[in-house]
Amino acid sequence: MSAHAENLTHDDAHGHDGHGALAENNFLGLPNIKLAMWAFLGSECMFFGSLIGTYFFYHGNSLSGPLPKDVFSIGITSISTFLLLMSSVTMALAVDSMKQQKPSTARNFILATALLGATFVGFQVLEFHEFYTEKHLVFAGPNASLFGSTFYTMTGFHGTHVTVGVIWLVIMSILIQKKKLVPGKEAVNVEVMGLYWHFVDIVWIVIFTFVYLLEFLK
Amino acid sequence: MSHGHEADTLGAHGGHALPHSHKKQYIILGIVLSIVTFIELGIPLFKGVPELWSAAQEVWAPLLIVLSIFKFGAVVGDFMHLRNDLTLYKFLFISPLVLAMFSFFAIGSLSVVHFHPFGKGYAVTAQDLADGYVPPTVGGGADAPLADDKFEAAFADAQKTGFAKGKETFTASCVSCHRADGGGMPGLGVNLTDDCYKHGGKIAALYTTIAKGVSGTAMPAWQTSMDSEKLRQVSYYVRSLKGTNAAGGKECEGAKE
Ligand code: HEC
Repeated sequence: MSAHAENLTHDDAHGHDGHGALAENNFLGLPNIKLAMWAFLGSECMFFGSLIGTYFFYHGNSLSGPLPKDVFSIGITSISTFLLLMSSVTMALAVDSMKQQKPSTARNFILATALLGATFVGFQVLEFHEFYTEKHLVFAGPNASLFGSTFYTMTGFHGTHVTVGVIWLVIMSILIQKKKLVPGKEAVNVEVMGLYWHFVDIVWIVIFTFVYLLEFLK
Repeated sequence: MSHGHEADTLGAHGGHALPHSHKKQYIILGIVLSIVTFIELGIPLFKGVPELWSAAQEVWAPLLIVLSIFKFGAVVGDFMHLRNDLTLYKFLFISPLVLAMFSFFAIGSLSVVHFHPFGKGYAVTAQDLADGYVPPTVGGGADAPLADDKFEAAFADAQKTGFAKGKETFTASCVSCHRADGGGMPGLGVNLTDDCYKHGGKIAALYTTIAKGVSGTAMPAWQTSMDSEKLRQVSYYVRSLKGTNAAGGKECEGAKE
C-alpha cells in the first residue's frame, strides 16, 4: 500500500493550477474530495441499509392494498436495471478517458451516462405512476399500506440519488466542454463523481435482487 | 497491483507516460455483468419446469443472492477501484457497510416471523387472494367477504378434517382466554359460540381480527406468530363454532349476525 501513497504524494508534487480547491490534496497526500466521497458513501451504506431493512421489516405485514407480486413487472424493471448497469460501464470509461487526457471523449461518455441515468429515472416515474393510479399502491394517508410506504420511500430515495447524479453529470460535462475542468489533477473530480454513480448502481443491484427478483421466486 | 502508477495522471506536465488504460477490462466486465443479470432474470423462468423448479427449491434464492454479491463486488472492486485502492478508503467504506448489514439482519430477526426474502410470506398470501379473500381496506370495512363459493369450498375442506388443524391452534393459543369450548371467560376472551360479534362474524372479518388483534384489549395480533395458513385454519374453526352456544358461555357482546 505504501507504494500507492507514494504515488499519490508524487501526484501532489505536480503543479497546482489554481482550479478546484476540493481537488487539493490534504496532509495525507490524498485528494480531500475523494476521501470525503468514500466517507460519504460509507454513511450512505447505513442510510440505504436502514431503508431496505425497514422495507423487509414490514414485508408481508400489509393487510391492505396490493402485494409486491401484484404490482411488480419484471419487464420494466429488467430494462431499467440493464440501463443502470450500462451507465456504470460508460461512467468507468469516462473516468478512464479523463485520465488518458481525452476530455472530449470523457465528456461524451459522461453525457451517455447522464442519458442512461435519466432514462432510468423516467422508467421509475412511469412505474410509480402506474403503481399509484392503476394498482392502488398508496404511499401515505388512510389508504396507505406498509408495503406502499416502505417501497416508495426506499426506491424514491434511490431515484432521488440517481437524479442528483444526472444533474452532477450534466454540470460536469458542461465544465469539461468549457475547459473549466481540465484533465490531469482535476481528473479526480470526475473520478469522485464516478464513485458516487457506481454506488447508486450497487444500491440498485441490492434492491433489484432482494426486493424484486426474490419476489418473483415465490 | 498494476494500478500502482494510476495516480500519475499528470503525464502531460512532465512528459510522463499516461496511465495504463482499462477500457478493455471495463467493457469485458460490463459484458460479464450483463450476462449475470440475464442469468438472474432467467431464474424465475424455471418455474415453467415444475420438476426442476421444486427439486432445486432451496437453491434459487441463495443463488440470486450470491450472484448479486458478485455484481456488487465487481462494481465496487473494479469500477470503483476499491480493490486496488488505499486501505483507508476500504476502511471508510467497508466498515459502515458491515455495520449496515449487521443492523439489517438484526432488524430482520426482530421482525415478525415472516422476515422475508428467505421466508414464505405474507400474512395474506396469494393463495388467500386466489381463494377470494379480499384484503380489508381502511374505510372499506373490515368484513370484506370471501367470495361465497370459495369460502364454502375451503370451509368444507377444513370440515372434512373436523377443523383439526384450526382446533389444534385454538387449543394451543386461544383457550386461555376464550375457553376450551369457545364460550369465553369473564374479563378475558369473548364468547365465540354465540351469534354475536363485535368485529364481524364473516370469515374475512374473523381472519382480520385474529391476524391484527384488537388493540386496547387483551386480544393479541396473531399475525406476528402465525403464518397465513394457520390463521386461515383457525378462522375456519372459529367460524365453525358459531351458533354452537357453549353452555355457560359469556353473554352476547356486539351485534347479532
Ligand atoms: C389474552 C387473551 C386472548 C387470547 C389468548 C385470545 N383472545 Fe381472542 N379475544 C380476546 C378479547 C379480550 C377479545 C374481545 C376484544 C374486544 O373487546 O373487542 C377477543 C376477541 C376475539 C375475536 C373477535 C370476536 C368478536 O366478537 O368479534 C375473535 C374472532 C377471537 N378473539 C379469536 C381468537 C383466536 C382465534 C385466538 C387464538 C389464536 C384468540 N382469540 C386468543 C382475548 C384473547
